[in-house]
Amino acid sequence: MTHQGIGASVPRKEDDRYLRGKGEFVADIRLAGMRELAFVRSPLAHARIRAIRKNSDAVFTMDDLGGVAPMVAISGLPGFRVSEQPVLATGKVRHVGEPIAACLADSRAEAEDLAAAVEVDFEELTAVVDMLRARDPDQPLVHEHWPDNAFLDTFVDGDIDTARAAASVVVKRRLRTARQCMSPMEGRGVVAVWDRRLEQLLVYTATQMPHIVRNGLAECLGLDQGRIRVVAPDVGGGFGYKGILLAEEVVACWLARRLGHPVRWIEDRREQLTGNANCREHHYDLTAYADAEGHLLALDCNAVVDAGAYSIYPFSACLEAAQVASILPGPYVMQAYRCRTYSACTNKPPILPYRGVARAGVCFAMETVMDAIAHETGIEPHEVRLRNLVPAEAMPFDNITAKHFDSGDYPECLRRVVDAIDVPAVRARQKAETGPVRTGLGVSIFCEQAAHGTSVYAGWGIPMVPGFEQATARLTPDGGLELRVGIQSHGQGLETTLAQIAHSRLGVPLDKIMVVHGDTATTPYSTGTWGSRCAVMAGGAVGRACDELAGRIALIGAHLLQVSPDMVRVGGGVVSAEARSVSIEEVGRTWYRRPQDLPDTVPPGGLEITAGYKPVRDSGTFSYAAHAVVVSVDTDTGEVRILNYAIVEDGGVLLNPMIVDGQVIGGVAQGVGTALYEEMPYDPNGQPLASTLADYMLPGATEVPDAWIGHMETTSPYSMFGQKGIGEGGAIGPPAAIANAINDALRPFGIAMTDLPITPHRILAALLAAKGDAQ
Amino acid sequence: MSKTHVTTTINGEPAEFLCEPHMTLLDALRDELRLTGSKEGCGSGDCGACSVIVDGRLVCSCLVLAVEAEGTTITTIEGIADGDELHPLQRKFLEHAALQCGFCTPGLLVAAKALLDANPNPTETEARYWLAGNLCRCTGYDKIIRAVMDAAAEIRERQAA
Repeated sequence: MTHQGIGASVPRKEDDRYLRGKGEFVADIRLAGMRELAFVRSPLAHARIRAIRKNSDAVFTMDDLGGVAPMVAISGLPGFRVSEQPVLATGKVRHVGEPIAACLADSRAEAEDLAAAVEVDFEELTAVVDMLRARDPDQPLVHEHWPDNAFLDTFVDGDIDTARAAASVVVKRRLRTARQCMSPMEGRGVVAVWDRRLEQLLVYTATQMPHIVRNGLAECLGLDQGRIRVVAPDVGGGFGYKGILLAEEVVACWLARRLGHPVRWIEDRREQLTGNANCREHHYDLTAYADAEGHLLALDCNAVVDAGAYSIYPFSACLEAAQVASILPGPYVMQAYRCRTYSACTNKPPILPYRGVARAGVCFAMETVMDAIAHETGIEPHEVRLRNLVPAEAMPFDNITAKHFDSGDYPECLRRVVDAIDVPAVRARQKAETGPVRTGLGVSIFCEQAAHGTSVYAGWGIPMVPGFEQATARLTPDGGLELRVGIQSHGQGLETTLAQIAHSRLGVPLDKIMVVHGDTATTPYSTGTWGSRCAVMAGGAVGRACDELAGRIALIGAHLLQVSPDMVRVGGGVVSAEARSVSIEEVGRTWYRRPQDLPDTVPPGGLEITAGYKPVRDSGTFSYAAHAVVVSVDTDTGEVRILNYAIVEDGGVLLNPMIVDGQVIGGVAQGVGTALYEEMPYDPNGQPLASTLADYMLPGATEVPDAWIGHMETTSPYSMFGQKGIGEGGAIGPPAAIANAINDALRPFGIAMTDLPITPHRILAALLAAKGDAQ
Repeated sequence: MSKTHVTTTINGEPAEFLCEPHMTLLDALRDELRLTGSKEGCGSGDCGACSVIVDGRLVCSCLVLAVEAEGTTITTIEGIADGDELHPLQRKFLEHAALQCGFCTPGLLVAAKALLDANPNPTETEARYWLAGNLCRCTGYDKIIRAVMDAAAEIRERQAA
């Protein structure tokens, strides 16, 4: 048998159905009697609803939805202000696209016709659109019982003054990242059915976290959890967008139960772009203090995040800005750090954590500062970083915000990526350039906390705290293995990697291992797939379950071999005692089909185990990566081309290197989008200005570089196999590296780009402004 | 509203369906013929998830009216494999792990097949530009391009033999 276990680049078990067009996504489900749902959505960002006039029984407003509670996502952080998000607007609308009424018909087109016929009288209010002005006294209140438009303030204090006095270099930067849409290729969607036989709501929904959706539905609908089954079928990408309870889910479920027929809502791209959750939109005011040799002494930051109108369930509105404060120092050592943040409440859709959460913005901010120090001191940017990175001998390392870096060699990672792109050649080329097209070199380095668990999330105090991750392992009567996990795999390849772990433990062939996920009825509770947690948490749980199952298999195998249990070992598909062995298949057959061959002293629990797992320490694994990029910038057109892209990453022990590479490159594509293309602009009235994928630009095959990836594999001391979560890292490094490269190219023109995405328009505007200044 | 009867050939088999005048070819494939492999990713011709081949031409089926399919020959993702045997493009996608969530994959495979039908020996740049109309949010395209180039080489070798 070829190598199939941990570390093997085996093809993915789940791919055959997708390759044949036989995957089953929510929109592919058809049920008899199913009706389609469309929503009347707010055309205004901020308005009071005076009246709603409907002329059909198939139109439902909040007045019709008796007993449905609003969605509420609290945070335990001191001072957090709680918003109540009604599933259909009552009294007021707080962002464009907010659902006001639900319309049911036999087809989506007819449902949209019904929606178009509903009349809503609005009293338009001034919209709060600019997060930097959200707390000004002249701004109206998004939530009228609040004192101002902020969900939360955070403050990390530190002694900046001592460092300031010692500093010979002071750099200041004001930076901004755009509001983005996560844009999985499949949108959200739900099919809800009331099962009269079981008196149970069956909900098919495109989600990353079926068990959390069940929590939320039970709270909003007032139903016992046993009356709800949530199934996430094939899910077409998530990236955070499917890690949220939706008003549309709650409404579809209420209608299906009340009306007794299946109800379907499939989000279209326009709804997604203009009305549903966004992400990011950070603003940074940074001051860094360094000595003449480029050693970072202190960092002082004021950051604002535009969290939109509501605190989303379950992550809440606090996560992004509070995370900015806690992770801004990145992989660096510094003497002092101070950071003040607030989460602005505005008349825009709520935000939720997108791949990397705050890290893409934070890395852009921190790495811009490092380049600024390099420029001021005249030292190569990578050399400045080497002087400030946490050294390998300091690991494990508690940084200035008490993040516990578990392992690794950050300087070596950076050295390897710099070696991969030949810095002297780029510098020589730059010296020779005199025309409009200029070359630039940029680097970034960051670490990614992943699979952090109970202690971390209990501190946030949000509606979801991960505990022990559980997995069920069951040997089948024919010697196959069923694994049941509460996470959801939507592109991560977990049907393969979890099977590889089980294969490593028991030796059952991969094609006889079935991974069941995404179904509350058949899997143990889990908070789901987010935070790069599955390889560590679900992987650990599968390992633990297989090990405990091996103990049961050993007892039966020992009986069949007629030896003492302490003489046998399980592995490679057999139970063996010295030269003799019996197959795991035979053990399964005996337990299920020929129990008369076993004594009554065997464990009655049989060959099915549910085991729980937490890492030795639950503060998270820290994968890390360095990115280096060479770009050309055409100063006549503003066009940026990526000429060379190199990555060195350390994900600990790689479960399936081919899948890891795919995650990294896929993340880079999203990072390229963040750096150069993706932006959801709003006008001063809070109207979204991108409503199709022709306006909201996603990178295509001609924009994403053919990146080189180098691996380091420093074993995490805390996870079961030494693996680290790497699902988000690819998306974190590119904005910083690309922005630094562009600014390196533009340095001869005396300008620096500060706002993401760095579009041709922004480059040309900056060049024109600099020319104007010069004249 | 009266429905129109449409007769066509899909994946080598005669097919007929009834549709309303405003129905898209994508909705007819998915709802009337239950060929749900073609996906709606945007509904505006920007993402390519609904790509099918009509009379040898690659189209976004969300931008084609179902009635326009009358008398045409259509290839969808369901017709790419030869029974159980995967098409070389599908096999190379599998070997390279050129898919993740699988939602854009049918459209990309159909688009890549249309490329290789028209140009069996594309350069990497040609492949990237041909596939520029098919958005993928998971893979970063790199493995897709490798898979397409490998499949092209295999098909050429097979034809030369």
